[in-house]
Amino acid sequence: GFFVSFVCFLLKVRGPPSAGSVKQRPSKRTAFRKFYERGDFPIAVQHESAGNKIAWKVEIENLDYHYFLPLFFDGLCETEFPYEFFARQGVHDMLEHGGNKILPVVPQLIIPIKNALNLRNRQILCTTLKILQHLVVSAETVGVALVPYYRQILPVLNIFKHMNVNLGDGIEYSQQKRENVGVLIQETLELFERYGGENAYINIKYMIPTYWSC
Amino acid sequence: KMSEVSEVMTKADIKPKSMHHAKIWSDDVENLYRFQQAGYRDEVEYKQVKRVDEVECWPETGFVKKLQRRDNTFYYYNRQRECEDKDVHKVKVYVY
Repeated sequence: GFFVSFVCFLLKVRGPPSAGSVKQRPSKRTAFRKFYERGDFPIAVQHESAGNKIAWKVEIENLDYHYFLPLFFDGLCETEFPYEFFARQGVHDMLEHGGNKILPVVPQLIIPIKNALNLRNRQILCTTLKILQHLVVSAETVGVALVPYYRQILPVLNIFKHMNVNLGDGIEYSQQKRENVGVLIQETLELFERYGGENAYINIKYMIPTYWSC
Repeated sequence: KMSEVSEVMTKADIKPKSMHHAKIWSDDVENLYRFQQAGYRDEVEYKQVKRVDEVECWPETGFVKKLQRRDNTFYYYNRQRECEDKDVHKVKVYVY
């Protein structure tokens, strides 16, 4: 009662230290960077003003997806140019044109995705979430194939799900630029549910209890 | 949805008579944008240079899907529109 509160007042008792769940982790040198510097990727560096395009030396249809797609996903941990650009654009091109070559590779993509999300870097989070959205819709049954791996990729999303800025009636520009982490997570989970089959919702709800069905 | 080009024009080495810049976006402007990104004037020049009869397109939208550049590397394009409104005026439309 009074004695305890008086002692607390005298000793200035502090709460427990922060656990650092949203603190950014340092990134390590990725295999993508090593292979890129060695020239192992079939991509050409274009110095013309092509904007956001990669020039492929080999047709994507002839690429070994089991070898290259996980490597490109590994590059999602990068934040420096040109590694970040080539990893992001390379993944996009391979998912856009992969067709039925993507599904067999899904299990090999989980660890690179988990590594990227675990860095808790806002930029990497946004990029990875957009890539996940693309992955789910890239081919038939990829969404269903991801369901067993929710326990590996959803925990970090649970931490950042409520990262929305309350501006009152102000305009949240990061939403329209697709850089708002909270909104991107919500979009991604909704896509997971929509394309994940009948077991998707219950598995998402198990990992993210505050999620509501769309 | 590709612009109609006669078979005779694609086989002969035809040069355009005039050029103007696009003002509003359309499917044809989108495809011209994609050809010009890859370093060609339009579909006519691409078929002349690469000696092909067909250009690979997305079946849903009819937009160009893949082009081989002059250095033999490949450019891949999205299923949906890529040419933004701010880039429309940079697209050159050639008249034969």
